[in-house]
Amino acid sequence: MRTKLRQNTTGLLFLLPALTLFAVFVVYPIVYNIQASTLEWDGVNPGTFIGLDNYVRLFQDPTFLITLRNSAYWIPLTIVPQALIGLLLALALNRGIFASTFYRALFFIPAILSPVVVGIVWQRVMDPFNGVFASVGKATGLDWLGGSFLADPDTAIFAVIVVNIWMWTGFSMLFYLAGLQLIDTSVLEAARIDGANSFQTTWRITFPLLKSTHLSLLLLGIIGSLKTFELVYVLTQGGPAHASEMLPTYAFQQAFQLQSVGYASTISVVLIVIAVASSLSMVRVFGAGFISGDEK
Amino acid sequence: MTTSTRRRSRTPGRWLHAILIPVAAVWMIPVVMVVGLSLMPPSNPTTTFFGILPAQPSFSNYLTVWQQNPILQHLGNSLLIAVPSVVIVIVVGSMAAFALARLRVPLRGLIFGALILALVLPMSGIVVATFKILQAIGLYDSLLGLVLVYSALGLPFAIIIIRTSFLAIPYETYEAAVTDGANAWQIFWQVYFPLARPALAVVVIWQVMMSWNDFLLPLVTLSSTELKPLTLVPLAYRGIFLSQPGALFAILVLISIPVVLVFLLVQRYLVNGLAGAIK
Repeated sequence: MRTKLRQNTTGLLFLLPALTLFAVFVVYPIVYNIQASTLEWDGVNPGTFIGLDNYVRLFQDPTFLITLRNSAYWIPLTIVPQALIGLLLALALNRGIFASTFYRALFFIPAILSPVVVGIVWQRVMDPFNGVFASVGKATGLDWLGGSFLADPDTAIFAVIVVNIWMWTGFSMLFYLAGLQLIDTSVLEAARIDGANSFQTTWRITFPLLKSTHLSLLLLGIIGSLKTFELVYVLTQGGPAHASEMLPTYAFQQAFQLQSVGYASTISVVLIVIAVASSLSMVRVFGAGFISGDEK
Repeated sequence: MTTSTRRRSRTPGRWLHAILIPVAAVWMIPVVMVVGLSLMPPSNPTTTFFGILPAQPSFSNYLTVWQQNPILQHLGNSLLIAVPSVVIVIVVGSMAAFALARLRVPLRGLIFGALILALVLPMSGIVVATFKILQAIGLYDSLLGLVLVYSALGLPFAIIIIRTSFLAIPYETYEAAVTDGANAWQIFWQVYFPLARPALAVVVIWQVMMSWNDFLLPLVTLSSTELKPLTLVPLAYRGIFLSQPGALFAILVLISIPVVLVFLLVQRYLVNGLAGAIK
């Protein structure tokens, strides 16, 4: 009995620092958000309790609909190309070709750069006067390349999505390289001896065996999409006229530019609920093994 | 037979390079451009080669940046945020991972639930609350506040990844150490911690990427200019940079050099470390 108690205490002592940080900076902010979401509050003076009015307002807010629409674009349009290009690169680099470490580093570099760096340089790449697209357009006669994609409400969100794909494809590549390492090569060898060509082995054997990698990237992609703040903030600030607004940029604007802290907290609560609900449903459908690393 | 095998192993390499080289070259355009434009002097802000390179390269921007902004101070702030948060996440995270992998822990399920909640929690979703909490505990406008928030947000990923690599160490190792009379701390620190190196490399790069690159939290929780990290310099001095685009890009290069260096240092562990995590 006493040993059990002591064992429990040791385990808890090891966990204590992590749990303390969690409680103060993860759990408490969530509770705080929920409470603040019921207030009409400027963040400075005492707030007034208004119940669920902020939520009613949010569901009638046209900008909220835009953020949902943009997330609906963002999730598939970033996850699929990033995974596809990342997988192709990983398959190419996994063959042990010359300079594969060098290629790997090159493609991963965008992911380690700060969104400030990526955002500012891509503003320049897409600049209609000095940009790369515009220069290429001028040289080839494709004048549409000189459009101001970030300033046009019809294209702004897609322009930001392109930048996101550029930034995070190397990350998917690294995940797939890691996943490919775990595949037992004897299976592939056996298939090859049975006469399967490399397209068949890749599509029929490698691709299904990468299931946990696909799922990890899908989950990280969905969470990442919902979290997106920095790139949008630097590239378009959510504009023009909310056209590229995402939930986090909208919450930021409400809290720190319009001083509606209560309403911003409401947006944050909805954001957290969507993020948690979509992740939990993924865990439910696919099993938690791919997150916790437990044996399936 | 031999010729066909040889052809098989050689030709893919060649056509792969034929595809990879142009793809990599196009992919690198924005990176080359950051460096290229940082060499574009204010006296001649014209570019060549599709706007990627300056017409007349010069190092004058780096001199300007050095003289005009207290760049060392901002660099120091970035280091004072990133380094402690990496250390905290590594130590606190692997302690927690060890407990969850090898020790008896009450309420495991609840703790795992909290981990996954924290993993999916968007920083942008709690930034308003964090701002208020830091104010309440007297850590508003302080680097320590940022360190603690980044550590808390980095922990779930660290714990999950390190725990997986601890689980990969045979249980007999643990039992043998217990039989030898080692206590839990000794087993953790002398046996398990050193063996988790590839996972720790992943955690280091992940945490550096979060704490060094982020600008949302500093933007919201720091008001004194002299505390601002490097990533806020382009935003804080936006007005000055309008007339000096070259200097702006020089700052971007300075922001990027340290992360790229860390990446090059740990990159040989990365793939193995990630492989351990998604197994």
